[in-house]
Amino acid sequence: MSALVSDSWERRALLGLLVLVVLAPVFGWASGVVGYTEPLETAAAETGASDAADPITPGLLPEYAVPGLNPPLGTLVSAAVGTALTLAVAVGGGRLLER
Amino acid sequence: MTRQIRMHIPDGFLDPWVAGLLWLGSGVAIGLAVRRARDELGDERTPLLGVVAAGIFAAQMLNWPIPGGTSAHFVGGAFAGMLLGPSLGVLAMTAVVTIQALVFGDGGIIALGGNLFAMAVVDVLVGYALFRALRGVHETGAAFVAGWGAITAAALAVGVGVGLSSAFSYELSVTVPIMVVGHALLGLVEGAITAAVYGYVANARPDLVLGRGDDSLSLEVGL
Repeated sequence: MSALVSDSWERRALLGLLVLVVLAPVFGWASGVVGYTEPLETAAAETGASDAADPITPGLLPEYAVPGLNPPLGTLVSAAVGTALTLAVAVGGGRLLER
Repeated sequence: MTRQIRMHIPDGFLDPWVAGLLWLGSGVAIGLAVRRARDELGDERTPLLGVVAAGIFAAQMLNWPIPGGTSAHFVGGAFAGMLLGPSLGVLAMTAVVTIQALVFGDGGIIALGGNLFAMAVVDVLVGYALFRALRGVHETGAAFVAGWGAITAAALAVGVGVGLSSAFSYELSVTVPIMVVGHALLGLVEGAITAAVYGYVANARPDLVLGRGDDSLSLEVGL
């Protein structure tokens, strides 16, 4: 992982990731103000499939929230955890695959 | 209200045979991507793979509010394919979609094959193919069309998948138009963001963009 912070584009990229993470709760609030539907939810409602959703597992941080934390903070923590985890998995997986 | 809403196919929406087929399709594509990626990864591309995947995860959490009761979020498969090439693009999106399902419950486990097929395979490969085909005409325009067309194609795949399933009463004639038209409209945001971010990266660091910069990265990566 040391190569990840060894030159400037990578440092700038990490700063960009941090900005995106901090923005996540702001966008979450704004989209909540206008309401939120996805076409898949609309299709499910139109065909009577809405109640068919039956998660096998809710995940560790269901719906990008953290139990006990208020929603903006939960979104912020989820964004930070998910972004860091994705970075680690992708770089780690990439390193394993390198010839 | 700041809670993030799930946006991917949950368990229970796809019939088992549909879910199985989509697992098969995504599994084959990801397997091929892994094989090809071995030759592409290295000191520069591996960190870029990580940064692009992490950036797409973070960007997917930004729901752009659209007055009238909807919102659009950047999916990013086309962007990943354009910047990284099809193999690394598929792997970047595979990491994003899998973590969303396993850690955040966004998308089901049985349905993960369907979500991977739509976002890590169709979105990446269609976006890459459109960009390659149109890049010679106008690079920014090609990036926009790639982002828009790829997300619309991915939505078509989801519309067909759920429309062939009993939960949706096999109503393909309902699911496909809703998914395709809905995402064709939301895809205008996807295309605009894809073009803007691609343009920024291509200007700032052309050497990081596949097909630009030094010859070592100018690989002809076919589908």
